[in-house]
Amino acid sequence: MAETLRSILARRLVIVTGKGGTGKTSVVAALALAAARSGLRVLVAEVGRDEHVPRLIAPGTKPVGYAGRALRPGLTVMRIDPFEALAEYLGLQLGVRAVVDLVFRNRAFRQLMEASPGWRELITLGKIWHLEQMTTPDGDPLHQLLVVDAPATGHGLTFLDVPRVAGSAVRAGPLRKHAGWVEAMLGDPERTLLLPVALAEELPARETAELALRVRRDLGVPVDRVVVNCLVGAPFPPGLDDLDERVARLPAAATFPGLPPPGVLAACGAHLRARHELGRHWAAQIARMTGLPLVPLPYLANGIRGPDDLAQIATPLLAAPEAVAA
Amino acid sequence: MKGIDGPSALVRGRRIVVCVGAGGVGKTTLAAALALGAARAGRRAIVLTIDPARRLADALGVGALGNQPREIPREILTRLGVPSGGSLSALMLDMKRTFDDLVERFAESAEARDRILQNRIYQNVSDALAGSAEYSAMEKVFELAESGDFDRLIVDTPPSQHALDFLEAPQRLLEFLDSSIVQLLLHPAFAAGRFGFRLFQRPARRVLQVIERVSGVSFLEDVSEFLMAFEGMSEGFRQRARRVNALLLGRETGFVLAAGPASESVAHAEAFLARLQTSRVPLAGVVLNRARVWPGEGPAPAAVPDVGKEAEAVRALAAALAPNAEGDGETAARAAIHAASEYASLVRRDEEATRVLRGASRALGCFWRRVPELPRDIHDLDGLARVADALFAEANAGDADD
Ligand SMILES: Nc1ncnc2c1ncn2[C@@H]1O[C@H](COP(=O)(O)OP(=O)(O)OP(=O)(O)O)[C@@H](O)[C@H]1O
Ligand SMILES: Nc1ncnc2c1ncn2[C@@H]1O[C@H](COP(=O)(O)OP(=O)(O)OP(=O)(O)O)[C@@H](O)[C@H]1O
Ligand SMILES: [Mg+2]
Ligand SMILES: [Mg+2]
Repeated sequence: MAETLRSILARRLVIVTGKGGTGKTSVVAALALAAARSGLRVLVAEVGRDEHVPRLIAPGTKPVGYAGRALRPGLTVMRIDPFEALAEYLGLQLGVRAVVDLVFRNRAFRQLMEASPGWRELITLGKIWHLEQMTTPDGDPLHQLLVVDAPATGHGLTFLDVPRVAGSAVRAGPLRKHAGWVEAMLGDPERTLLLPVALAEELPARETAELALRVRRDLGVPVDRVVVNCLVGAPFPPGLDDLDERVARLPAAATFPGLPPPGVLAACGAHLRARHELGRHWAAQIARMTGLPLVPLPYLANGIRGPDDLAQIATPLLAAPEAVAA
Repeated sequence: MKGIDGPSALVRGRRIVVCVGAGGVGKTTLAAALALGAARAGRRAIVLTIDPARRLADALGVGALGNQPREIPREILTRLGVPSGGSLSALMLDMKRTFDDLVERFAESAEARDRILQNRIYQNVSDALAGSAEYSAMEKVFELAESGDFDRLIVDTPPSQHALDFLEAPQRLLEFLDSSIVQLLLHPAFAAGRFGFRLFQRPARRVLQVIERVSGVSFLEDVSEFLMAFEGMSEGFRQRARRVNALLLGRETGFVLAAGPASESVAHAEAFLARLQTSRVPLAGVVLNRARVWPGEGPAPAAVPDVGKEAEAVRALAAALAPNAEGDGETAARAAIHAASEYASLVRRDEEATRVLRGASRALGCFWRRVPELPRDIHDLDGLARVADALFAEANAGDADD
């Protein structure tokens, strides 16, 4: 593939997904922050029971809820609660919101909805579609970049598959039409990008490969790169790759001012080198199994705690992806 | 937990051990290592794993999904230090299949069974019945515990953001079956069609009608059909769930919480421990997995090199690495020192996680252990043996006591 990939920021909707704990939320926050800093109007939509993005972008901030709140100029964060989205949708369909609110307070009704499958995903995607369609008074997109923190992979696929299923299962009615709109949005490479986040370990690598396959084969959602997070950097500069072995060959009893014994120095380097090589191995596997270029992100020793750490992963995140290793 | 002061006592004293924890912290690995430890202690142990890495599954002989126990060959066990009375088996849990088996068992008739298995709601059952996947895992545990084929069952669990989800699964299933909405939907009039709407008050009826109208799906009928079919079996099911629950929270079971050293993971573990204090869960211990440890004596130094010794350290190491001063001595010395300094800061961070978790587990009176991060991932029985060695090491108990 010789053509250069379009920047992530050139899309309007970026859906971040991946196995649990791979760094989806960190990638969402880093992307949103960088985009807002570059002058775009950005909206982050979290999908899930809890809010995680706000405290990364503005540590100590209060929950943002369904209504959302601007945490910085040009950067709004919201959490799509399916019940609220459903109430909003039904309110629009019925024309009277008060009735809907009354019903939603009914415990039996909530239990019924809790037990019913599929609607959460559909209504959440419907809300995302709605957000994507919003315009300013001048007719420009209100949200120039919409970043979605999607559920972990297993659920993530169901999440994206629901409009298609709904579209084929539903006989008629507005829902069928709406599901079609959502499906069209998800399949449009001009507007949408699905961004998988993986770790360079066996299970996340295999899950990502399966995701890429299923997305391309069944779902038709555009994917053009894989983020590989938490890569341990090479501990030694080029040309000194096996430095730990050289250190290990020093006399065990040798002492150096201010330093631990050579065996300990060597063990530190050896561990980092082994983790680095393991990461490279699985990154190469991911590239091979998915056939997609990679966006490598460095492992930060202190984790991702706030805007400074996010800025550190944003630069490599937005860099041109690395071509597939031959 | 009384008398359970470490993994050895745990696999000797409890018939069932459950590993819980957040995603990716090492539940699957630790469950397998605990089972190996139990086998080494002469027990007939089985590990019930969920979604292991493929190479580990192959190593355990459960590469092909089967829902049936596979025993590790004797000669391999001997090499791993398992005495002749002990054995190690593995089973890969197929949750959907376990649940289907359950329906088979308790359905009133073949017709009722088919109606359930083909129902759209049932096919989405993991969403529909919150925690049913977890429940069916517990169901398999129960079945194996009753079979008497094994005397130690070590159970892996699916990753959960809220680790108690798993423990609460049987209870939630019971609550769901007893809930007013289910009772309401079980009303035959409801399944008879739209008439069912009368059971709701007027506004609710209107909203439900809108849902049906816009969705074009009669999903209420699906739900009620599912529940009707379920009702016949629900008594047997209910009793079963109660017994599973009793086994899980009983005196024969011990839970192990796995945690990783990342601050998020430690926070998750702390929140979990806090919730445990108010629950009846028999927590036996906490294991901090993949902690980086200092390869030298004692804890990691505050700085490498010691503050104020930087120039001297580089000079001396450079001279040793390139005695004839062939150029790269200084670069090499700086690189080696930099790597050690970086690793030391990782170790210091993990030592901090150690302190936090050790404090929290001591406050709860359960044991705590630390398993170091190995240089490579754990994909074979030898790797597993190394994890087991670290987990069961006596010295581990006083680890990092400063
Ligand atoms: N590049 C990195 N370097 C170091 N730590 C990282 C990095 N990226 C993420 N982390 C850490 O990994 C943990 C998981 O990250 P995050 O919450 O972003 O993952 P997630 O995929 O959203 O998880 P979940 O599936 O639970 O929602 C966090 O503790 C985070 O600080
Ligand atoms: N002590 C260790 N040293 C090095 N690697 C380890 C260690 N423990 C686990 N790993 C590796 O970490 C990865 C995750 O471990 P494992 O699959 O056991 O976690 P898990 O909690 O079961 O994950 P999940 O929540 O996805 O089921 C695996 O690649 C495993 O080989
Ligand atoms: Mg997240
Ligand atoms: Mg696992």
